[in-house]
Amino acid sequence: MKLIRQNIRLIATVLCVLLISLVVYGAYSISTQGSRWFSSGANKYLRRTKANVTAGNIVDRANVLLATTDNTGKRVYSSDEAVRRAMVHVVGDSANNIAYGAESFMADHLYAFNESYLERLAQGLQGKIRRGYDIRLSVDSRLSKKAYSLFPKDKSGAIVVMNYRTGELLALQSYPSFDPMNLTQLDKDNPLKPFWNRATKWISAPGSAFKVITLAGALQHIPDAINKTFHCSGELVLENTTITDANNAVHNDLNLKKALALSCNIAFSQAILEMGDKNLQQTASNFGFGDYFLFSDLVVENSVYPTTDRTEKEIAWTGPGQSRLQVTPLHMCMVAAAIANDGIMMEPKLLLGVTNNAGVSRFDFFAREHRIALDKPTADTIADYMREVVRTGTGTRAGVSGIPVCGKTGSAQIDGQRETNAWFVGFIDDPKYPFAVCVVVEDAGGGGSVAAPIAGELFKFMTGR
Amino acid sequence: MKSKRRTPAQLLVSTIILFFFTAFLLLALKDFQPLSFLMTALVPLIFFAATVLIPRLFPADRLLLSMVNFLCALGVLILYRMNPKQGLDQAVNYGVGVVAMLFFILFVRSLRHWRQPIMLLAVASIVLMALPLIFGTERNGARAWISVFGLSFQPSEMVKVFLLLVVSYLLSKRNVIPAALFAGICLLMLMLQKDLGTALIYYAVTLILIFAATRSFFYLGAGFIGALVGGLIGYNMFSHVKRRVRIWIDPWYDYEGAGYQIVQSLIAMVNGGVWGTGLGLGHAYDIPANTTDFVFSIILNEFGLVFGVCVVLVYLLLFLRGIGIALRSSSRFYTLLSLGASCLIALQTFIIIGGNIKMIPLTGVTLPFISYGGSSLLSSMCIMGILQGVASINEDDVQEDQELARIQEGYA
Repeated sequence: MKLIRQNIRLIATVLCVLLISLVVYGAYSISTQGSRWFSSGANKYLRRTKANVTAGNIVDRANVLLATTDNTGKRVYSSDEAVRRAMVHVVGDSANNIAYGAESFMADHLYAFNESYLERLAQGLQGKIRRGYDIRLSVDSRLSKKAYSLFPKDKSGAIVVMNYRTGELLALQSYPSFDPMNLTQLDKDNPLKPFWNRATKWISAPGSAFKVITLAGALQHIPDAINKTFHCSGELVLENTTITDANNAVHNDLNLKKALALSCNIAFSQAILEMGDKNLQQTASNFGFGDYFLFSDLVVENSVYPTTDRTEKEIAWTGPGQSRLQVTPLHMCMVAAAIANDGIMMEPKLLLGVTNNAGVSRFDFFAREHRIALDKPTADTIADYMREVVRTGTGTRAGVSGIPVCGKTGSAQIDGQRETNAWFVGFIDDPKYPFAVCVVVEDAGGGGSVAAPIAGELFKFMTGR
Repeated sequence: MKSKRRTPAQLLVSTIILFFFTAFLLLALKDFQPLSFLMTALVPLIFFAATVLIPRLFPADRLLLSMVNFLCALGVLILYRMNPKQGLDQAVNYGVGVVAMLFFILFVRSLRHWRQPIMLLAVASIVLMALPLIFGTERNGARAWISVFGLSFQPSEMVKVFLLLVVSYLLSKRNVIPAALFAGICLLMLMLQKDLGTALIYYAVTLILIFAATRSFFYLGAGFIGALVGGLIGYNMFSHVKRRVRIWIDPWYDYEGAGYQIVQSLIAMVNGGVWGTGLGLGHAYDIPANTTDFVFSIILNEFGLVFGVCVVLVYLLLFLRGIGIALRSSSRFYTLLSLGASCLIALQTFIIIGGNIKMIPLTGVTLPFISYGGSSLLSSMCIMGILQGVASINEDDVQEDQELARIQEGYA
């Protein structure tokens, strides 16, 4: 009998843990994913409630009106068509074509779902239709409009601008775009899918822009990497593959600084082969590859550092950012931002404030670290090398005179595409202008010739030159 | 001398009665149907009768009794709010359930020689399990129901109670192999009915009882491996098992189709928020099977997360109370019996709530005491009857001991 009692205690403990785990799991999943479930298109209750509540206004960081409800109850957006097109992926649309724009993802504020019953009663007694809260977003309509004017027409891609100190997003754009107030059949049929938010949901190989991470790995894992010389003879013959450079360039002897500036594939293939795939994977995961991105204001596709079928060919091509690496433009912007912010990656934020009908604030913005990507000395070294890219290397067209612009270009080869995807990631290394940028133009050519000039114009605009 | 102050137990009972009275009154004032006013009077009355009168007949565990009745009454309330007809049905089931519980308390208390009744129950179980396979009708992919005179019921629910008695008895006599064999036959027939959720419960409870009786890690390991192999075979054999797992991993890939139920359940949970929408103000109509498999989601929707956590804690307390009864019992049979009874309820709760919140794949079992369904409520109440029966025997033993001690003191 004594033995049975012991067994019973053991069994009881296990079952107690099971029952308590229900509460723990439930609390965890609701706190991390509840807002996603709530704002999903499948929430019929939300759809029904929207009919009974007047949605609040959406303004940008300078309080420029982006969305409001007119007196017939119709949802209207900015009066400037270019602003509407430039911001539709952030703001969202009343028809819910944009999956996680503010219109749907911040519906709990816009329709005041967490308003107390007392407040509801007070409004009801006054005979008013219930009105939701106003929200202020971190995006800048002027900057977004400027970016929209710079992006090549009839191309697809994305532009992300964020404050690397706080994580506030100043621009988050996907191309092609559409006008939420004048949706045409052409938009619906467009094979480039204008409703899709490429900045957050499109994952693809970043090409040479990834070399900043390979560089970080090399600095951390290869002894005395700064002074190490690599040799580029124009081709690196490996099992089943030959690594070459763009235009079959031959760089001869070069160190990592020069390799980054000239974007030498061979040096970065040698670097990953020397440090080993596992080490680079570790560095990449410090930068958030493999993270489950559960940001409070955004729904972002997770980035992938491939871990299966790692042949020598695959590994060697990972160093220069090809192979099956997959990353969103927003995440690459966060990577650049982390390097700029002394290695600390901030969580991207969109929501700056919420005010109720009485003008009382219902939400305070707070910056939050997402993770520590790097130590400060390594981050400083990478920033220095990235400065060189813009000064003398492939990214010169992103430069602005008198402004310390750092950056990295990328030209990602994608199977079945005529041209490469043009990438540029970079930032201004100046506390007065703490801005990081990521520009991607799909199927358009080289990063240095297509993406870098757009970034350069943006830097110019942001610094007022 | 009797104190006039109320005991905590009395306070608890009056609070619960007040809760249900106001809740039903609220619903009644909303729809102004005579039936609603009837329920306002009826449900607190059943609750009162079941929690206050039963302990006057014999020494029952009052706390356990009030928790069980709270859950049953909560079930009636939720069901009545979602669907008045089902609510009324459930109130009748609840009344019948209380009588069944009483019957089982008496059954356990009065029986001294278990051998013949147990053999009878074993045979009855196998016959009952065979019925749906021969005369059964199919519902939701499972062939687990039979109809008698227009009343349909699920034999596997009743067999759950019998299985508990038979397996505990055999194990208390150290007949491990016959116990496993009997459970295996029941399980096999259950698999043929494709009622996988219930099969899982049968399996786990049998395994727990065998482990408790033998403390053999060999049996435990073999059981786990058996479950794993069974799971893999089930996964590869039944397409609906594969679909369930797929939905569990990501219900959103097809939220208008296969994942609809679970997605709506999750949404109903978050729509309620911390304090819920309030009784009668919810909108969980979008969840299919909302009064059976997904009744917990409605509770979260209308009463909120805090209340939902409390309901889970009530189940936890109920389980611990049952374990306490098992630990106090002096007979091997009663110990195993009450252990099995407590584990059965706890496991069933875990399996269905875990399924509702997407912690584990959804298997269609009922939430004990709350979900709509006569067979299920009846079997849960019978199991509680067993537990209460053992508790009252424990209490009798304690009183006997005290009596003896007093007599000895008198002689000394």
